[in-house]
Amino acid sequence: MSKAQTHGQLASAISTEVMIEVNKMNKWYGSFHVLKDIDLTVHKGERIVVCGPSGSGKSTLIRCINALEEHQEGDIIVDGIKLGKNLKNLDHIRTEVGMVFQNFNLFPHLTILENLTLGPIWVRKMAKADAIETAMMYLERVKIPEQANKYPGQMSGGQQQRVAIARSLCMGPKIMLFDEPTSALDPEMIKEVLDTMVDLAETGMTMIVVTHEMGFAKTIADEVIFMDEGDIVERNKPEEFFSHPEHERTQKFLSQIL
Amino acid sequence: MAIVKATKTPERPAPISETSILGWLQKNLFSSVFNSVLTLLTTYIIYLTISGVYVWGFVDATFVAETRRECYDNSLTGACWAGVIDWLDNIFYGRYPREELWRINFGGILLAFWMAPLWITRAKGKVLVGASVVAFYPFLAGYLFSGGDKGLFMQVMVSAAIVAFVINMANAIAGLLKQQSIAQFVISSLGQTNAADKSQRNLLIALVVVGFGVAYLWQSSWTVEFVSWTKWGGLFLTLVISGIGIASALPGGIILALGRRSKLPVLRVLSTGFIEIFRSVPLITVLFMATTMFPLFMPEGFVLNKLVQVIIAVVLFNACYMAETVRAGLQAIPKGQAEGAHTIGLGYWGTMGLIIMPQALKHMIPNIVGSFIGLLKDTTLVSIIGLFDILGMLRSISKDIPWLGLHKEPLIFGAILFFIICFAMSKYSRHLEVKLSAGDRH
Repeated sequence: MSKAQTHGQLASAISTEVMIEVNKMNKWYGSFHVLKDIDLTVHKGERIVVCGPSGSGKSTLIRCINALEEHQEGDIIVDGIKLGKNLKNLDHIRTEVGMVFQNFNLFPHLTILENLTLGPIWVRKMAKADAIETAMMYLERVKIPEQANKYPGQMSGGQQQRVAIARSLCMGPKIMLFDEPTSALDPEMIKEVLDTMVDLAETGMTMIVVTHEMGFAKTIADEVIFMDEGDIVERNKPEEFFSHPEHERTQKFLSQIL
Repeated sequence: MAIVKATKTPERPAPISETSILGWLQKNLFSSVFNSVLTLLTTYIIYLTISGVYVWGFVDATFVAETRRECYDNSLTGACWAGVIDWLDNIFYGRYPREELWRINFGGILLAFWMAPLWITRAKGKVLVGASVVAFYPFLAGYLFSGGDKGLFMQVMVSAAIVAFVINMANAIAGLLKQQSIAQFVISSLGQTNAADKSQRNLLIALVVVGFGVAYLWQSSWTVEFVSWTKWGGLFLTLVISGIGIASALPGGIILALGRRSKLPVLRVLSTGFIEIFRSVPLITVLFMATTMFPLFMPEGFVLNKLVQVIIAVVLFNACYMAETVRAGLQAIPKGQAEGAHTIGLGYWGTMGLIIMPQALKHMIPNIVGSFIGLLKDTTLVSIIGLFDILGMLRSISKDIPWLGLHKEPLIFGAILFFIICFAMSKYSRHLEVKLSAGDRH
């Protein structure tokens, strides 16, 4: 049984400080309207789980928050900085917001340790020895310090994903975004990644997680968001969300997935 | 009913047909009557060819003779290698003055030493070695080969090249003997500890500056005699042209490829146009354009020598081909790599230089070396516009009075030379591929 399922609801420490604010945000891919009038406020320490059918725009939403995708209308304000064309802001945002991808996106030509120290050394201008120390600390935390000198291709999917989480943490982000982190993993490896994420949630990190792992959502989420066709259809506390889904579309989705 | 297997099935050795030589022969060469006949037939054809070549090239061949007539007197059916041997210096060096040949040999040995660390697995700082060769060696070699008066620029560059060479050698030796870089070695032998410290970095820079001064004084005391480029020729000229082509095609190709993939429309259109124009024209046309048309566009009195024009043409032509190779390599890298790099805050150049390029170049090695081999062979086209490169020299043998009409042997000798060089390049590329794919085991 996964830690995520046995743990019970985590206590959370949400402050009133706003980390992410999205106002009336719209995005199109060509003529296709992907995100429609999205409003979203995330406070410091808050943990949000986003779910919904594929093509509903949930990945696009968090990619917009990390400025990997451009939005066309409305505002996204991350840690007090408004996203826009300003490249300097962009680089700043990306160092504050960590992101974990479905396909890990580790750098296959570098060792695990080099993957982890690259950002701190080149972007944060940290001394090499300090960067290695930080990297080893986070590798301990994701429980694979002995793999430091291997290459990503020599590790299992679950291990790679934990390295990817550690790589983001090495930059000292204030917010962590997860884009379906367990979807590309074998069932046996999902648990180890979810446990790592639960550990991270316990430290009070602000997190937005796109996932279909409902057990995980019940454990760590302060709120669950359900998206469909570019709209945020429903947003609620997890216990309410799972026991009394309001919207018909949510009910249908949950009946198929649970 | 449930099935539970309590014991592991033990492993057994493979059947003899999978492991023995006889098994291999049977499976691959004599698996059916038809295949057996084919095998025997092919073996017979190979035997005929090889024995024919052996008799012509060795048994009946003449190695010592004064003229082609003497070859015939000796044997009518064998090869006349005497002509090739008589012309060997011309084939390798062209009409370069015989008493100055040491300069070419010395230049070659210098290059071999400079690049030696690239072949030694344990040596560190290979990128720096490669970069310093490309940046400085051409000036040193350029002066060594052409000689004459050194202008101030040449004096500075030659001194810089000497300093770079010495540092490289010292670095390689320190690395092999002490497992340190030369900077660490100097610092630690001066009784200090930390090479990253600012005052010590200044000390190292001071040492380099002093070294430069010494090199400058030393080089200003010697000169070598002027040799006009019109006397350059043979394999030497081929290697000069293709060497410069190879060294500059890759950097040029990377710049053009990045330009073609740029988000800035002007840069993109310019790069694309440049690449497409050069790629859609045969090299020989570009060479003719460079030597006959280009001077027409230049202001009056502006005379570039033909060799420089040819080299510029070869460089541009090959940079455009290389650009397409590089672009293909860049496109093979998944988009996720750039996104991963962005999320740890790397900008455009950081992403390109640290993440995308190293991976792309690794995938491209076979194609890059393929282009290099093509470039080396393409340079023989310069013999058409009147430079006496190796092909020009080989063909001149048949016009030399004693060896009149001797075509076959020189060209076969040339083919063997090219094969040796190209095969070595191809082997080296294979070796690089294997070495660099260490992290690629998926």
